[in-house]
Amino acid sequence: MGGLSRLVAVAANTFRETVRERVLYNLVFFAILMTLSGLLLGQLSIRQDEKVLKDIGLAAMDFFGTLIAIFIGVGLVSKEIERRSLYPLLAKPLSRGEFFLGKFAGLVFTLLVNIAVMTLGLYATLLATGRGADPGLLAAIYPIFLGLVLVVAFAMLFSTLTSSALASVLTVGVVLAGRFSDVVRNMREVLPAVPTWVVDGLSAVIPNFRNFDFKDRVTYGDPVPGDVLLWVTVYAAVYVTIVLGLGLASFRSRDFQ
Amino acid sequence: MAEPSPLLTRGLSKSYRVGHIRQSLHPALIDLDLEVRRGEILGYVGPNGSGKTTTLKLLTGLLKPDGGEAWVFGQPLESRAWRHRMGYLPEHPYLYDYLTPSEYLDYAGRLFSLPAPVRRKRARELLALVGLERSTRVPMRRFSKGMVQRVGLAQALINDPELLLLDEPMSGLDPLGRRLVRHLILDQRKAGKTVLFSTHILSDAETLCDRVAVLRAGRLVQVGALGEMLRPDVAHMEVLVEGPGSGLPEIEGEMRREAVGDRTRLEVDEKALARVIVAVDAAGGRVLSVQPVRQSLEEHFFQEMGGDDGGGNSWEG
Ligand SMILES: Nc1ncnc2c1ncn2[C@@H]1O[C@H](COP(=O)(O)OP(=O)(O)OP(=O)(O)O)[C@@H](O)[C@H]1O
Ligand SMILES: [Mg+2]
Repeated sequence: MGGLSRLVAVAANTFRETVRERVLYNLVFFAILMTLSGLLLGQLSIRQDEKVLKDIGLAAMDFFGTLIAIFIGVGLVSKEIERRSLYPLLAKPLSRGEFFLGKFAGLVFTLLVNIAVMTLGLYATLLATGRGADPGLLAAIYPIFLGLVLVVAFAMLFSTLTSSALASVLTVGVVLAGRFSDVVRNMREVLPAVPTWVVDGLSAVIPNFRNFDFKDRVTYGDPVPGDVLLWVTVYAAVYVTIVLGLGLASFRSRDFQ
Repeated sequence: MAEPSPLLTRGLSKSYRVGHIRQSLHPALIDLDLEVRRGEILGYVGPNGSGKTTTLKLLTGLLKPDGGEAWVFGQPLESRAWRHRMGYLPEHPYLYDYLTPSEYLDYAGRLFSLPAPVRRKRARELLALVGLERSTRVPMRRFSKGMVQRVGLAQALINDPELLLLDEPMSGLDPLGRRLVRHLILDQRKAGKTVLFSTHILSDAETLCDRVAVLRAGRLVQVGALGEMLRPDVAHMEVLVEGPGSGLPEIEGEMRREAVGDRTRLEVDEKALARVIVAVDAAGGRVLSVQPVRQSLEEHFFQEMGGDDGGGNSWEG
């Protein structure tokens, strides 16, 4: 019971940090982008443009969301370690596990707020330009959010292992490799020197981030069945559990020098 | 049943890995056996790099020991129950820039599961205690180093701990701040608390501590009351003389002579005091003051550690 309240305290403070350190400013860019596209496309008012607007909105959510996930996932964890702000906290009854999971919860909440505000922005733009608020978009937004949670888990894992600079590079690497998984599979055609087991290992370990991409399907108006969404949820949950578990183990065993 | 001592270590050791490719082990703390007694102020002194911070990080769980054991209030280090009874100030603390001191202390209080009214009350009291009552609503981004240090002290006291571990509590503080910390530490003892603080400023240790533990290159070289450590038999007298200048002849038992303006400062053996007064009088001078000089902790350590150290440790650092 005390453990949970400490975890919540860490999560709340993490969210407060993202607000105070102006991480959520990305929302301003999103708002500007949406307003501009709304204004431009609104003048044309052809039926086709509804798809364009949705495409832009979802792609922007995905892009800004991923950027923020990498930024806060690496930044807010590395900073605690590198600037040593967690020293006085870890000497208190707070355990390392509570700290790590509290941090994760706070970051996930930040992402949720981010996605929620962007979703509202997208719907507002659609309504303002005289289009309907298509609830089907949520079937693409929810998997985007799952993907972001997984990105944060990777970023936290790398932050416990190495410096913030290298952790950012590694996280970006995982995201790219996971989105363009054929690149990894075809790596040997470009770099024949790479042993097979490295390629096989990488493609087996790195999650396929395209499993979270329903953008095209949704904007074409294809419904996404519930069991597909359930499957994606399980896929994300399994990966997040493993990656977060590794991060936790590494965070628990390390020295704070 | 006797109460277990607040802190006990047996053979506590830690080495750091240094170098990237050819790694080697650098011992930072070697076989530390230390007992802190209930209700005492223990000074943990040693030159830069002697292992003070390493010890405190081991005790608070930030580092894992390579060997040895430690008990806090009789409970092993790995058990976490004792953490409710302990307060820790890290060396050069960094607290969150974006929080105000009140918010930080509230956060710290939540980690001890203190109820909200208690947190508010303690935060207010502690910030007043460290002299920050007028900056409670200012983000710490705008704080000076000494102000952050003061918040660091306040957060170490949020749970009214029975054992305080302070890593260089006076560092970065102005004279007023240092006095404040001295009073704070003494008040803690008065309230029955136990304090261990590290410092390499010996006069701080000298004015505060019941006992000091002396560390050198990772090894504990001495523990004890200052009175025992500073041999009383080397006591001598400082005599301040006005007048005779160079007319004053060399006196038997004189240890040192120094001109201070038109005055002369003499350091003499206690037994030579009568001869000095007679000699000064004969030379037409006047004795202004006579003061016993006890060997200071600083002198003691210069004697003990000076010169042949070899470990790269120096008081100047
Ligand atoms: N992160 C680290 N990596 C490698 N060696 C370290 C590390 N931290 C400390 N050391 C070494 O361990 C030894 C003890 O350092 P420690 O910080 O405990 O000294 P200290 O007594 O606190 O010194 P100071 O008075 O300067 O604060 C030193 O020789 C130092 O070089
Ligand atoms: Mg130190």
